[in-house]
Amino acid sequence: MVKKGQLKIQQMTFMLIAVTLFFILVGLFLLSISFSGIKESATELCEENALLLASKIANSPEFSCGESFGTTKTNCIDADKVIALIENSDEYKNFWGVSNIEIRKIYPEFSTEVLCKRENYPNCNVMRIFPEEEIEGVYVSNYALLCRKEYFKGLVGGGCDSEEIETVEEIIYDECELAKIMINYEYGKEC
Amino acid sequence: MAKNVKIKKSGQEEMVGFALIIIVVAVILLIFLGIWLREDKTDSVESYELNSFMQVLLEYTVDCLENYETDACVKCSKRYYSLKELIIACNEGEKCIEEVDTCDVLEPKLKSIIDSIWKVSENTPLKGYNLKIDTKEESILEIKKGNTTNNYKTSVQRLGRDNLQVEFNIYY
Repeated sequence: MVKKGQLKIQQMTFMLIAVTLFFILVGLFLLSISFSGIKESATELCEENALLLASKIANSPEFSCGESFGTTKTNCIDADKVIALIENSDEYKNFWGVSNIEIRKIYPEFSTEVLCKRENYPNCNVMRIFPEEEIEGVYVSNYALLCRKEYFKGLVGGGCDSEEIETVEEIIYDECELAKIMINYEYGKEC
Repeated sequence: MAKNVKIKKSGQEEMVGFALIIIVVAVILLIFLGIWLREDKTDSVESYELNSFMQVLLEYTVDCLENYETDACVKCSKRYYSLKELIIACNEGEKCIEEVDTCDVLEPKLKSIIDSIWKVSENTPLKGYNLKIDTKEESILEIKKGNTTNNYKTSVQRLGRDNLQVEFNIYY
């Protein structure tokens, strides 16, 4: 009778150990599945945050086009504002909490790098907010639209029923080019 | 004999109990797996960077003067088309002021921009791209380069007119 009871206890113990081991294995399996993508997700989130920082700066009042070029556009930078900002960049040191901001025209392409100043604007392709410091180390970038007001000489007047004479006049239009906004920041600050 | 039957019955009950535990755990496991696998994976494929690129691309100013008539001027223009407006004009069969078909301006311009920004070659991570412009009914334009792979990012921009949409895929 005692032997039979011992056998029962033994059976029960084995059973409990087996069930516990089974649950542990299942738990480990689920944990390994859920943790496998965490590092990847963290990197992705970090990249997205960095891109958002670039967008945040591009859409700030100091850079954004607002409604100057028709409707409000996302990531639209007013080049005329930026050229004025470069001239007064000393007053904006530490304003955005980044080391430097650079807007680089990517289309139409330029064969060489020409830094923008009041004298050569708009025939340049790199607008650096703090021109004395180069973009180096850690930086993030995002696509942006670089817009400015341009003009061409066009014909005005001379309609079918009008007696008005066709005249050549300067017509102002919006010129928007493709650019990349690059934000230089200290390592570890954004991620 | 009766004792033997009782032992056998108790053993059977234990086996049934164990089998039930296994079944319950397996079901729970399957439910977890099902939820995990059914999570929407489109976010990882849709790219924030590509969406930004598409948004700015569509606002790019193209060398095609909008052609319109007013009371004051038979053929006059005060503005260039943006790429988005050019796509709409192409769909509507309009011409630039220089009598050039808007669709003839659209295709080379798009190709030139994409080729200069998304460089496709054997030595770059980018293996190919595919840009499609279509309405629900018909395809307006398709530009392809390189190979298509299973590792890709996509961006779809709706132009809000005539169900026009631009889909851009890049393959790694």
